[in-house]
Amino acid sequence: MNAEPIIRISNLHKWFGMLHVLRDISLIVQPREVVCIIGRSGSGKSTMLRCINFLEEPSDGEIEIHGLKIPAGGKGREHNRLVHEARLMTGMVFQEFNLFPHMSVLENVTEGPIIVKGMSRTQAIQLAEEKLDNVGMLFKRDEYPTRLSGGQKQRVAIARALSMEPEVMLFDEPTSALDPELIGEVLNVMKKLAKEGTTMLVVTHEMGFAREVADRVVVMADGEIVEAEKPEELFSHPKDARTQALIDRYRTGGG
Amino acid sequence: MGAALVALQQRQRFVHSIKVTLVWLILVAALVGGLLLIRFQPSYMLEHYNIILQGAGATLGVSMASIAIATVLALFGSIARLSSSAIAQGISGFYVSVLRGTPLLIQIFIIYLGLPQVGTQLIKFGYPTLGRLLIMDAIPAGILALSLNYGAYMTEIFRAGLQSIGYGQREAAIALGMNPWQVLRRIILPQAIRIIIPDVGNQFIAMQKDSALVSVMGVWEITYLATRYAKKDSKYMEMFILAAAAYWILTIVSSWFQNRIEKRMSRAYER
Repeated sequence: MNAEPIIRISNLHKWFGMLHVLRDISLIVQPREVVCIIGRSGSGKSTMLRCINFLEEPSDGEIEIHGLKIPAGGKGREHNRLVHEARLMTGMVFQEFNLFPHMSVLENVTEGPIIVKGMSRTQAIQLAEEKLDNVGMLFKRDEYPTRLSGGQKQRVAIARALSMEPEVMLFDEPTSALDPELIGEVLNVMKKLAKEGTTMLVVTHEMGFAREVADRVVVMADGEIVEAEKPEELFSHPKDARTQALIDRYRTGGG
Repeated sequence: MGAALVALQQRQRFVHSIKVTLVWLILVAALVGGLLLIRFQPSYMLEHYNIILQGAGATLGVSMASIAIATVLALFGSIARLSSSAIAQGISGFYVSVLRGTPLLIQIFIIYLGLPQVGTQLIKFGYPTLGRLLIMDAIPAGILALSLNYGAYMTEIFRAGLQSIGYGQREAAIALGMNPWQVLRRIILPQAIRIIIPDVGNQFIAMQKDSALVSVMGVWEITYLATRYAKKDSKYMEMFILAAAAYWILTIVSSWFQNRIEKRMSRAYER
């Protein structure tokens, strides 16, 4: 774990108006590492994830992705170029899937490579089929998103993000909008990606997944990182009372 | 018991539709009877329907050209209205406010009769090319007026359409690395168009009738020709009913095409 980190977040702050939602966050993600971020709603975990690819503009601090340093508060052409680079190096999966409804499954996955990377159609289709196969969705290649189940949609969304061959995958509560019986198929795909060595940053409420798959679990509360530990350590010997409360809530089946 | 109830309801519905049809027939009979009393001559209509047919070409031509230009105006207008630039917002807001806030007929007069005044002055001041551009024939003036007027209404339709596409779509596209132009062209517009198309169809149907206003400039479209012959032969009822029928038929045909296009566009959304 001495290689150059994929992500280095340094002293990140985010204000929404008067609301201070991220307070001095620092986090390093190494290549091939799977980091799960847990915490109650409103703890800032999604906002932190969205700051990494600048869907939210950080208020202060610095984001570094694979050696590319982007300070907060930048403006103008050079900043936009850096942000674009950052987005090319990160693949994002959203809670609400956000598949493009006017495009077939295949077109959803070829869109990025063709439009953003300028890849040829033939090459993009080959790549998309490979990625769709990887998430077990090749059999729906010519279907439109409205005809898919939630779990299937999310698997296509994962393939879409993978098609850009990012350095790191960002998952923003990927199973929170799914019916309980559909969560498993998405988590299984994510487990498979983790096994294949994909670097992953996962905001989730799935404690079982975090415990089983994560190399490290980060607990967030009130805009701060409370604890970042190996899962076995964190779940058996939580140091912080807020971590303890979080674990207890899920043990007793609470929200 | 249930079957008997359904049969009763069906019978009641049937009787009701018969009654409605009867009312229609009585209205038509009263109209025809009244017309015959004032020496209405259907034969005159049959002799002159080809004149209206000629006019229909102009009506359709002016409407199609205008809706095409209005669509382009509305596209840019709506993008400007949603942009963060103060200049773009200001210009598009002003455009929509003025063109929606004044009568189409006055806009036609300003473009056809008012602008030549400005043009003449410009020629005097030594800008002959620009000046001559403002002195327009009736048809270009009509198309310009209709385009500008409908472009303003349609700017608002387009704006609503663009805004109806969820923010998640934009974010997903941005996260893939698309620039704002790519997001608009590849993700937002194709989805918005499906929502906008029915309204554009309605605007086109409305415009076919509003284009009657360009008859004031002497464009040989349906209303102008109907007026001309009506005056000449004192056959007002005959010619205007003929003209009305022509517009109605145009509307019915347009509605049919509108329906087909809508069905085509919603194919990706069938479950």
